Amino acid sequence: MSTITIKNLRKIYGPVAAIDDFTLEIPGASVFGLLGPNGAGKTTTFKCLLGLARPTSGTILYDGHPLVPATLERIAYVPERSVLYDWMTVAEHIEMNRRAFAAFSPMRALELLATFRIDPRRRVRVLSKGMKTAVMIAIAFARNADTLILDEPTSGLDPVNQRHVLSLMINEAAKGNSVIFSSHQIGQVERAAEQIAVMDAGRLVLQGSVDDLKGDRKIVEGVFPNVTFALDGIANDPHVARVDRTERIVRLMVTGDADQIAARLSAAGAMGVRIVDLNLEDIFLYAVSPATATTDIVAKESSS
Amino acid sequence: MNYVEWLRVRNCLRIVAIILGIGVLLAVILRISLTRYMSPESWIQHFHEPGTVVTHVTLPDGTKRTIWDNAHDQTHVVIDDLGYAGKHIVVTEPASRAHNDHDNVAVGSIHVNESQNGAVRTTVIDTNGSVPMLYYMAFADVVALIVAMVLAAPFAREVDGHLEIALTKPVSRTRSAIGAIGADVVGIVAASVMTCVALYLCQLLFESARVDVSGVNARAIVMGLIAPLAWYALLCAATTWFNRSYVAVLVAALPVAIIVGALTLVEPSNIVAAIVHQVAWILSRLDPWTYVQLKYDSTTMEVGAATFGWRLSLEILFFIIYGALAVFKWQRVEA
Repeated sequence: MSTITIKNLRKIYGPVAAIDDFTLEIPGASVFGLLGPNGAGKTTTFKCLLGLARPTSGTILYDGHPLVPATLERIAYVPERSVLYDWMTVAEHIEMNRRAFAAFSPMRALELLATFRIDPRRRVRVLSKGMKTAVMIAIAFARNADTLILDEPTSGLDPVNQRHVLSLMINEAAKGNSVIFSSHQIGQVERAAEQIAVMDAGRLVLQGSVDDLKGDRKIVEGVFPNVTFALDGIANDPHVARVDRTERIVRLMVTGDADQIAARLSAAGAMGVRIVDLNLEDIFLYAVSPATATTDIVAKESSS
Repeated sequence: MNYVEWLRVRNCLRIVAIILGIGVLLAVILRISLTRYMSPESWIQHFHEPGTVVTHVTLPDGTKRTIWDNAHDQTHVVIDDLGYAGKHIVVTEPASRAHNDHDNVAVGSIHVNESQNGAVRTTVIDTNGSVPMLYYMAFADVVALIVAMVLAAPFAREVDGHLEIALTKPVSRTRSAIGAIGADVVGIVAASVMTCVALYLCQLLFESARVDVSGVNARAIVMGLIAPLAWYALLCAATTWFNRSYVAVLVAALPVAIIVGALTLVEPSNIVAAIVHQVAWILSRLDPWTYVQLKYDSTTMEVGAATFGWRLSLEILFFIIYGALAVFKWQRVEA
């Protein structure tokens, strides 16, 4: 079980701050999802965690200790793109890891490869993108590491293997190991992760357990007959945390009594009003999309 | 920890072995097709004309001596068969009968010396001469140079899409870098040794190969092993510092070195020529090949013996400095 502490991490490439004052504590023995739009700084964060990129400032601690080469014995990493050597066979990659890492289990790697239906005698250059990802995953999970950092681990995998990878991640957490992963497939993150953090423009914008973030919030959704409509002060209701409006459709994030807001929306002329549970995708989108909707609508209603 | 680099070295040496193997095979075919011409007696068969008296004697030391004596032509041939030590043939003939050139020829272990004393001309053929190791090393260095250029980008190749593997091993970057350079050094030296062995085998097919490793040859061996390593270290540093275009560096390195070397020969007859000469001279000082003295004095059998010590020291220094530059840059590489 390994706890990772990131304090005030900053990484600057030229004029761009890829990570900016990023602070996060990743608990051990759990599956931790790191979400963010493209360019949010997820991969850079992973690179800093592994010493592949040198932070401009800030600290990264593993169980209170800074990263040293020996720490890498305990960390397995699957990058978002294939970094395998095309001219080598899969078996040679296994041998390479066997020689480099004391805890690496070639038998486990071969078992996982068999699950993914990959012949270890094949050269990497003849494998598809998904198969290369599967090879990297098999090797990472055979490392017996207590921290796994997986950057888009299901990218290119078919749905069966995606589910298999999620199971592997959950199993690792059950064994007391930490799994930190990023994915654009939010459904997978919701299924596997106990804790999530959302990054945007190099900053942490949201963090917590999936259940806590959902809380008692609901989405109230309605469709108006035409594009010009008034919300009759609904946007100013203290229970409405956010309003999103697209053409004739309005989506309200509501805390507390959603039924009352739904009734008011119907009274304002909306048709097909429905209340749905907040999901991780909503949380993610609200966290990273510009929060202009509520302000604009509220301002408009106030002036009218 | 450097398994990948060892695999690269293995693959490279495998190709070297295949090429050398083909060379040895061609030598075998050549040897078979030249069998009838391979006996030293066949080279002097024209002295064995009708009327030649042949005498066979066994000397006390076991040498089997054959004497061809032709009173009519005034030719006298003594063939001493020394067993594993080859043959020693002395041909004496009238000077008027022979051509006027005085040749001293050495092809492999076969040495031919011609001399004239008044009206008598003597030709001595010795098949037990030694082959200077210098020749072997000249070939071996060409192969080592090619292998060095193939292996010379261990770090740039990792930067080219494999850093996530190379830099996430539980070992310091310095140690892994030294390990990678060490693997390549073994590969380059092994390529030299393999080439020498292949050349030796080829020579054995044709004659009793005795290799001279003394004097200048010993220096050639040392310099022949060190110089490709210094060149490798130069390329290793260059490809690490310019890792985005390492292929261009590898392709351009040798032509650039040759051009710079050629420009040092420019006579500084005017200001432009003087600047070109001076710049080229300075640049050439950074090239390890500059210090490999290729001028060979066949009379003294010397190759810059007086300056050998400091030239070798420079090669070693180049290897260390360029290697250290490569490691220094590797320590600062980021994914």
